[in-house]
Amino acid sequence: MKKKKSETLYPLIVKIVFVAALLVLWEYVAKSGLLGEHSALIFPSLETIGAAFIRNFKVGFAGSSLWIYIGNSMKLLLEGLLLGIGLAFVFSGLSIISRTFSIIYNFVVSICDLLPGVALLPVVIIIFGVKPGVIVFLVVHAVIWPMSRNILDGFLAVPQIYVEAGRNIGLKGFRLLTGVYLPAATSYIVSGLKVGWARAWRGLISAEMIFGIASCPGIGLYINQMRTNMNNAEMYATLIVIVIIGVVVQYGILSPIENNTVKKWGMTR
Amino acid sequence: MKKTLKLMSALCLGTGILLGSAIGAAADDASINIAYQYGLAYAPLIVAQDQGLIEAAYEEATGDTLTVTWTQMSSGADINTAIASGDLQAGFMGVGPAVTGVVKGVGYKIFTNLSGQSHGLMTNDENIKSLGDLIGSSNQIALVNIGSIQHILLAKALSENGFDAHALDANIVAMKHPDGMTALQTGAVSCHLTSSPYIFTEREQDDLTELTEVSEAWTSEDSFIVGVASEKLHDENPDLYAALCAGISAAIDFVNASPEDTAALTCEYDGNSAEDELEYLGLGTYSAATSGVLELAQFMGENGFIDAAPASIDELVFDGVEGD
Repeated sequence: MKKKKSETLYPLIVKIVFVAALLVLWEYVAKSGLLGEHSALIFPSLETIGAAFIRNFKVGFAGSSLWIYIGNSMKLLLEGLLLGIGLAFVFSGLSIISRTFSIIYNFVVSICDLLPGVALLPVVIIIFGVKPGVIVFLVVHAVIWPMSRNILDGFLAVPQIYVEAGRNIGLKGFRLLTGVYLPAATSYIVSGLKVGWARAWRGLISAEMIFGIASCPGIGLYINQMRTNMNNAEMYATLIVIVIIGVVVQYGILSPIENNTVKKWGMTR
Repeated sequence: MKKTLKLMSALCLGTGILLGSAIGAAADDASINIAYQYGLAYAPLIVAQDQGLIEAAYEEATGDTLTVTWTQMSSGADINTAIASGDLQAGFMGVGPAVTGVVKGVGYKIFTNLSGQSHGLMTNDENIKSLGDLIGSSNQIALVNIGSIQHILLAKALSENGFDAHALDANIVAMKHPDGMTALQTGAVSCHLTSSPYIFTEREQDDLTELTEVSEAWTSEDSFIVGVASEKLHDENPDLYAALCAGISAAIDFVNASPEDTAALTCEYDGNSAEDELEYLGLGTYSAATSGVLELAQFMGENGFIDAAPASIDELVFDGVEGD
């Protein structure tokens, strides 16, 4: 029991010390004027960023608090994430059932995973027009290919003996997929979720920075506005918000999923 | 725990060394870093670069050689940050971000005007005849960025026609100029507020019409791109500052005196044919004297684009800059 406690405590201490050291270094650089006489503007101190953090939510920009921007972003992100993950499962599953589909889909995944979403923007505008759906599309694009790649790799790694065993008890097609492939590939699927979520979150912010719809403004647009107006402290504070949301999702949603599946089942350490 | 501490100190030390060397490398005499952006509006800078005009002015005045490093950057906001950090001594950007930079205390002022260009608001919907038709509608207006000079011009046109300056803010979609042109042509948005040379292409298309309030609010005679120089350069290195002003002024004179030679030089950079480039150059105004900068800055102050309006032109420009 004693050993277990130190095992959970040690990583926490390491993280706290690391973050504290980073903050001290930041504050030192900010306060020492290392970056010239306009240091306060381009490299604001922690107090300034803290005050800007609160101001982002209380005052915001153009009459809207940062909450509104976060709400819009999260709504688009959730739509894109659910759609992307759902499609990745459907298509990857289909490629277990049909060999022809598997060949095509593997090929498509290899190609599309290389294309940055924002580079597709002109094409997407022509096809979808200018609406929040474009951002959802880019999030789907960011998540579906890495997620599919992980699921497909997971399926490939399922030992042949499991598949044969499944066939022996009469499973085939869809039932072989849900009965053997999916459970056996869970560790790959969970790591696909982690990669997919991070890609989607980054994809969302960069899409919003390039393509800002004022009637549905998101966090990316907020960062861009702060940059344009030289409100650097507010910009850094918004980056912290992005990190906080990322950490909450990582430790609040993804880690519990991992702990209750692959870790509990002893598939990974 | 001991190991971790060692690792931490190694990390801190590493970062410190990196920072130190980056700062140490910045100081050097007789060199200047200048940033500019992409397009027709920056034509004199291509001339200054090609003919080494700033270097020549410096050598003539001091007898020493000067190294000029030109960097192309993608937005005024990036240039603002780079000047504030001391990496750049001068930069060229839209008058909007330049005013924002001066008021925010980036540590520079305007040392020259560079050019004025055509701006316009185009629509693909023949039912839209004036700005008033857009207010309260769900029609989307593509423009380059919220807070950009194009956004400020939209606000100015609204205000001059008796509407609230921010009445169309919710209709804006921020997109780069070429993306906005694609969106307008395919009907994805109904309006596009853009500048030269995109506005010329759009004006030539029969199915697009112009809402003239914007081009009337800010003409091609008015300042669009200005040059800013750090106060440090101005105060501590007057020879270099003078050479910068002289070089840019000579480049502007060259553009006006020899438009054919300029077009032959710049067309490749701008992706136009030499004939188109010559025509487009003729539609812009290249002058070292500012026009309307104070008026625009005061409009920005009154309408919340910047926190406080400057009271006089001297707050925005260095001594000896002509114009208003």
